Amino acid sequence: MILNTLKLLLPALIPSWNFFDVIAPSPRIEFSLLNSDTDTPTKWHAFRPRPAQLSFRTMLKRMLWNPFWNETLFMMSCAERIMKNPTQSHHSETEILNRIINETLKTKSNKPSSPATHLQFRLLTVQRDNEQLVTEINFESRIQALPKKLSTSGDA
Amino acid sequence: MNFDDAIRLTEVLLGFAFALQSIEHFTDCANEKYLFITRFILALALIFGFYTSWVLLLLLVIALAILRRFQGPYNGGADRMSLLILCCLSLSHFLPARHWQEVAFGYLALQLVLSYFISGWVKIINPDWRNGRALCDVFRFSAYPVSKALQHWSKSPRVLLVMSWSVMLFELLFPLSLLSQTSLVIALVIAASFHFANACLFGLNRFFWIWLAAYPSILWFQIRINLVN
Repeated sequence: MILNTLKLLLPALIPSWNFFDVIAPSPRIEFSLLNSDTDTPTKWHAFRPRPAQLSFRTMLKRMLWNPFWNETLFMMSCAERIMKNPTQSHHSETEILNRIINETLKTKSNKPSSPATHLQFRLLTVQRDNEQLVTEINFESRIQALPKKLSTSGDA
Repeated sequence: MNFDDAIRLTEVLLGFAFALQSIEHFTDCANEKYLFITRFILALALIFGFYTSWVLLLLLVIALAILRRFQGPYNGGADRMSLLILCCLSLSHFLPARHWQEVAFGYLALQLVLSYFISGWVKIINPDWRNGRALCDVFRFSAYPVSKALQHWSKSPRVLLVMSWSVMLFELLFPLSLLSQTSLVIALVIAASFHFANACLFGLNRFFWIWLAAYPSILWFQIRINLVN
C-alpha cells in the first residue's frame, strides 16, 4: 500500500512536464443501453458530445465552475490507461461505467424507449493518418447491470 | 518579495485553488464527497492562516487519499503541480532550519521554471510542432477543444504555425526572464495569459489557478539567488 502510494506520488515530486510532446490518438467514449446481459449493442451514443458553440461568458464561468469538463478529462485519462494496459484496467473501467450510469440517471434524454437493464461502453480512438482522420474501436467494456432506480423506470 | 510573504501568498492561492477544485466534487458519491468537503474546510483554514502547519499536513494526507482513490491524479498535470506545491509548502513549515526551508521552497521555483522550459523543449524537438501540424491536430481531433466551433481553427495552419512557435519560444526563453525583475513580471503575465487561454479553449481551468499559486516562489527565488538587487 505504501509502495503503491509512493509510486503515485513520485511523478508529482519529480515531474516530467512533457505536456503535448506528441499528439497521441485521442479517445472517445460511446455507450449503449441494453435489455439484458446477453443483449448485443446496436445503438451507440457519444458520451457528452461537445457543444457546437461556447460563448466567452460561459468560458469565463468555467474558470471557476467546471465540474463536468474536469470529470470528462478524468474519464479520458481512464480511457488512456485502459488503452495502455487493457488487461489491468478494472479500476478505470469501473470509473467510466459508474460515471456513465450516474449521467444516465440524471439525463432523461439518454433513457431508451424500452426499459434498459444493462450498460456497456466502448472506446474509440481518433488519429490522423496522413491527411485523413481514422477512427478505430479500441476496447469494449464488460456489460454492467444498471441500478434498479434506472432499469425499472423505462420511460423514453 | 521576502520568504515569509511568498510563503503566505502561496498558501492563500493554493487554498483558493483547492477550495474551487473541492466544490466541484460536492455532488459525487458519499465517500468521495466527504473527502472533498474535508479538503474544502481545510482549504479555507489555509486561506485564513488557521493552524497552517497542521492544516498543510492534513491536506497532504487527503491528497494521498485522493491519489489512491483515483489511482493517480484526477486532473493530470494540474493535480501534480498541486501536490508539488503542497509538499514544498509543508516542508517549508516542518523543516527545522531556515536554510532547508528555503531549499524546499526554492525547489518549487526551480520546478516552475522547468515546467515551462521542458514543455518548450519536448515540443521543439518534434518536427510536427515545428511545422505547426501538432497544434492543428490538437484542434482537429484531440479531446481538448471545448466546442465543435474551435475545431475549425485547424483549417488556419498559418495562424497555428505562428501560435506554435510563439508558445515554444516563450517556454524555452522563460528561464532568461529571471535576469531582471521587470522581465520576470512580464513573463509571468504572459504565462498567466497563456494558461487563461488554455482554460478558455481547452477547459483546463485548474491549470490556471494552480500555476498562479506557484508564482510567488519564483518572485522570491529571483531575489534570493541575487539575480537582481
